[in-house]
Amino acid sequence: MYVQIKGLNFKYKNSKEKILKDFTIEIEKGEIISILGESGSGKSTVLRLISGLEVPSSGLIRINDRVIVDNNTFVLPEKRGIGMVFQDYALFPHLTAAQNIKFGLKKLTKKDKNKRLQEVLNLVNLEDFKDRYPYELSGGQQQRVALARALAPSPSLLLLDEPFSNLDADLQCKIREDLRKIIKQTGITSIFVTHDREDSKAIADRVVILKEGQIVRVGKPKDILD
Amino acid sequence: MLTIRHLKLNLNIWAVLSFIFILLVILPNLNIVLNVFNEPNENWNHIKEYLLKDYLVNSVILITFTGFFTIIIGTSLAWMISIYDFPLRAFFKWGLVLPLAIPPYIAAYTYQGLLNYTGVIQTFLRNSLNISVQQKYFDVMSPEGAIFIFTMFLFPYVYIITKSFLEKQSAALIENARVLGRNSFEIFLYVVLPVSRAAIVGGVSLVILEVLNDYGVVKYFGIPTFSTAIFKTWFAMGDLDSAVKLSAILMCLVFSLLMLEKFLRGRKKFSYTTAKYSPISRIKLEGIKGKLAFGYCLMIFSLGFLIPTLQLVHWAFLTYQSILSIRLLGLILNSLLVALFSSSVIVIIAIIIANNCRINENLLSKIYSKVTVIGYSIPGAVIAIGVIVFFVNFDKQLFWFYKMLNPNSSKLVLSTSIVMLIFAYTIRFLAIGYNSIEAGFEKIGTKFHEASRTLGMSVTRTFFKVDLQMLKPAILGGFLLVFVDILKELPLTLILRPFNFNTLATKSFEYANDEMIHEAAISSLIIILISAISIYYFYKVGDKED
Repeated sequence: MYVQIKGLNFKYKNSKEKILKDFTIEIEKGEIISILGESGSGKSTVLRLISGLEVPSSGLIRINDRVIVDNNTFVLPEKRGIGMVFQDYALFPHLTAAQNIKFGLKKLTKKDKNKRLQEVLNLVNLEDFKDRYPYELSGGQQQRVALARALAPSPSLLLLDEPFSNLDADLQCKIREDLRKIIKQTGITSIFVTHDREDSKAIADRVVILKEGQIVRVGKPKDILD
Repeated sequence: MLTIRHLKLNLNIWAVLSFIFILLVILPNLNIVLNVFNEPNENWNHIKEYLLKDYLVNSVILITFTGFFTIIIGTSLAWMISIYDFPLRAFFKWGLVLPLAIPPYIAAYTYQGLLNYTGVIQTFLRNSLNISVQQKYFDVMSPEGAIFIFTMFLFPYVYIITKSFLEKQSAALIENARVLGRNSFEIFLYVVLPVSRAAIVGGVSLVILEVLNDYGVVKYFGIPTFSTAIFKTWFAMGDLDSAVKLSAILMCLVFSLLMLEKFLRGRKKFSYTTAKYSPISRIKLEGIKGKLAFGYCLMIFSLGFLIPTLQLVHWAFLTYQSILSIRLLGLILNSLLVALFSSSVIVIIAIIIANNCRINENLLSKIYSKVTVIGYSIPGAVIAIGVIVFFVNFDKQLFWFYKMLNPNSSKLVLSTSIVMLIFAYTIRFLAIGYNSIEAGFEKIGTKFHEASRTLGMSVTRTFFKVDLQMLKPAILGGFLLVFVDILKELPLTLILRPFNFNTLATKSFEYANDEMIHEAAISSLIIILISAISIYYFYKVGDKED
């Protein structure tokens, strides 16, 4: 299995209530998983634990045979090589789209950086907008920059937190399709969380339904959502 | 459960540096607590028997009345400016902040010079109108006079905080009350005062801390209070033990006031709602009402800024020939350099502690942020005593080292140097820089930091490439506030400056104390000018960006 998550538990320091209880799942390479749940179900916490922004109280996460967290190990977020698209994109406002995308490419030479930039700009179809600042871009364009920024360092896993919540409803259909196409094109393993069944149906290979921190069902969208 | 995994998340250069800085802030103040229990000496018995009650009574009178009057003036102005439209309102909106540019000790000797027998007012009455007045009505050098000075030059604290609260929080409430048929005065009394209680209490406690910190006004007016008493026991009697005891009592007073503040504020903190607020649609005051509102603002503005400034300008013209010299240039340079250097140190420390609190959220970092803010509530004289004791001990410990470097070294090296003064500034004004920078961090939130981490940047690299870039306005703001405060600072500078080291503030105060009020004008005006420009930048330019 490419991604293995076993018995993940999480609670905040000051609360007794567990946010996440025994979260366990295995993901194949190239699969798109959707975690579907209402707000407060703990779905965003799963992403924060995988990316290393929170420390689980117990449990194990292994990616491509490398343990990134268990009871004795904790790999810092910057060492995990996991890409994340934040809910409101978190594009650095003081950098242009191109600078945002190049931000995670610190190890490459200047030439390689620009080459990689071209590749991902091509992928998300934003060549004409690379010199704009985030506030000069539409919501959909910002989302694509965020996606390109997360993909640029070629992460082993892509996480997307509510990727459609900030977009107009009439745009969502088209953007869902685009997003699925881009992800499939790169072949990257992805996990995205959403509260909208339609998102899961349109994009996911497999859906995990989360309720009050516990997995209720796992399966193909057409089997469990229709 | 603290595991290796948590350690890895929490232990980094930021945590280590913060710990060291916090320790340095605490240690000198700890000295005071430790030395309180030394055997009392004869001096102390004398102070306790005959003087302590006076200090206490005077301090309490000053803070009570100043607090009361600043609330009245501050809230009434905040109310008028936020809800009414009248001639020159836009000017007064930030002009009424300007009294903060004039340090109370400068105001004190300016008003004394203005009102005394040879001052402009009495001379005019005597020579042109042939009226001679009873001196007691013109005597500003009294507790009443001190209350007047403190009120006129500190009320902006209440005004600023209450005004921004009213603008941001209460438009809906006020409009509702209006629709329900209440008139303006009723709304002020029954809606505005209660809902803005936390803001008013916050503002007035700043005023009270400033009054307790003051040395210049009470010394010049000859009113015995704690800060003058601490100075006297230390400078005139050389009695450190008694000075420490007085400091401890003053600190108890400060902490009881802070508890009272917490209690009065209740559970309400004045956090601004992040939701967009709709501005209040202001009522236009026509005719006599508009003139009255205008007149009231003009009167406060004149008393708190215009009159003293004009008087100082006049004196400056009388004395500039003898004052404008290389020596003045030296003073300006001293003041600017020491303020620039100290503000930079403070801002850097504030950034480190604030960043640590943000990335390592735990009990320890919460304590750090509390300790950081405490320095501002401790009066300058108390900090000064703590810092002296600390540095003298430090010098004793390091004497072997000094001798190694220079066989003829004197015993006291650090405690006779400017390092001690900068150290004390840092303790006292760290809170100001910290608050500004913490607010900046809060505004940008954690998501950009997290985004950068997931893109492979370490905490420190993220700090330089992302956080610092986005934090620039907050850093500049904090720097300016601290800079101006240090420029105006008097008690710490007077006690801790190296021999023969003068700043604009100490020199103005020395001139005034030596009955050379006119000569104090130019250095005072320079302080006021620099402060006023910073304040203008802050409240006018900053306001527009909102």
